[in-house]
Amino acid sequence: MSSRSSAAVARSAGTDRTLTTLLALVALAGGVVVLLVGAGVFGSGRAGRSLVDPIAIDLLRANRSLALVLALVAGLLLVLLGLWWALRSLRPESKPDLVLDGSRGSRLTVSSGAIAEAVHADAETVPGVERARVRLVGDPDNPALRITLWLRQGSDVRDIWNGLDTQVLSRARDALGVERLPAAVRIELDAAEGSRVS
Amino acid sequence: MRILLRLLSPALGLAVAGVGALIALEAGWTLARPPSAPLVVPWKQWRDQLTGFTWSDSPVLVVGGALVLLGLLLLVLAGSARRHDVPLTDPADDVTVVTSPRSLARLVGHRVRAEDGVRSASVTAGRKKVRVRATSGLSTEAELRPTLTSTVNDLVGSLPLASKPRVQVVVDSPKDRR
Repeated sequence: MSSRSSAAVARSAGTDRTLTTLLALVALAGGVVVLLVGAGVFGSGRAGRSLVDPIAIDLLRANRSLALVLALVAGLLLVLLGLWWALRSLRPESKPDLVLDGSRGSRLTVSSGAIAEAVHADAETVPGVERARVRLVGDPDNPALRITLWLRQGSDVRDIWNGLDTQVLSRARDALGVERLPAAVRIELDAAEGSRVS
Repeated sequence: MRILLRLLSPALGLAVAGVGALIALEAGWTLARPPSAPLVVPWKQWRDQLTGFTWSDSPVLVVGGALVLLGLLLLVLAGSARRHDVPLTDPADDVTVVTSPRSLARLVGHRVRAEDGVRSASVTAGRKKVRVRATSGLSTEAELRPTLTSTVNDLVGSLPLASKPRVQVVVDSPKDRR
């Protein structure tokens, strides 16, 4: 298993998960502090004080410009972070074309759709495979194939698994003339009714 | 849960950006023209209203509780959005093969239901464990369980799974209740 092929299994949700966790921790910490102060854990005097603490207000008034500049910078950082996050999760996953010859003066690329279509046709000829879906993912320098195979009921998984590299992937590599083409294959077992022999 | 996170992420991102924009706008406006009223958010009014609340007032505690709840929900969402794929052994370098827990459960379910004496079965599967719950009208648990366990073990063993999951079979039979 290479990291490139295992990364191609599915679109990564890592950034979304990290940022959501961060947001969750901020909300959780804020809520816990409010509850603890309100419950009098930091003294009943503190619990009975106003939310807008005069000491804090005096401190902010004394450093008015500094506080406003800090708020401005923090606000702008939040804008950048939020927009980056939203755009990143809305952007469709890239479908890189494969550059076969990137030398100076000549440039030979194969479109991701053409590769996907060719591999798709090959994959559906493997006995036991009912349906296949293929796409090229990753960045243009490190493309990888993502293949989903729906198998017929009763088909031999081990045979198909053996044939994947020898029949489908090696043909794709030969046809494109590349030595490496990492692939992530998702197999949906028993997905369709098998053909019954009468 | 992964799809929920994918749907929610742009909304959360825009919410963070929106809050940041309002903070930056009001801070910048107040910095530039100190005596004037707030631009969009009536924060001076809010501040005066908040002065009337203490930390132990119930609306404040309710808001604190709601924040804790929101935080926990988002934590669960982020935690459960990881991949649950069942890995198969790699047929070659640069090739990763996985299957889904649902399709593994479907395969096991088809096989179990085809066994004699099984009336119905439900299966949950993961990379570590396959759990079968079968009901039978004809056989007792003692009769059927060893057969089903070995059938499922053979089936799971015949798949090129990266690690063999543990098989657990429970048979629910009315004959056992007599």
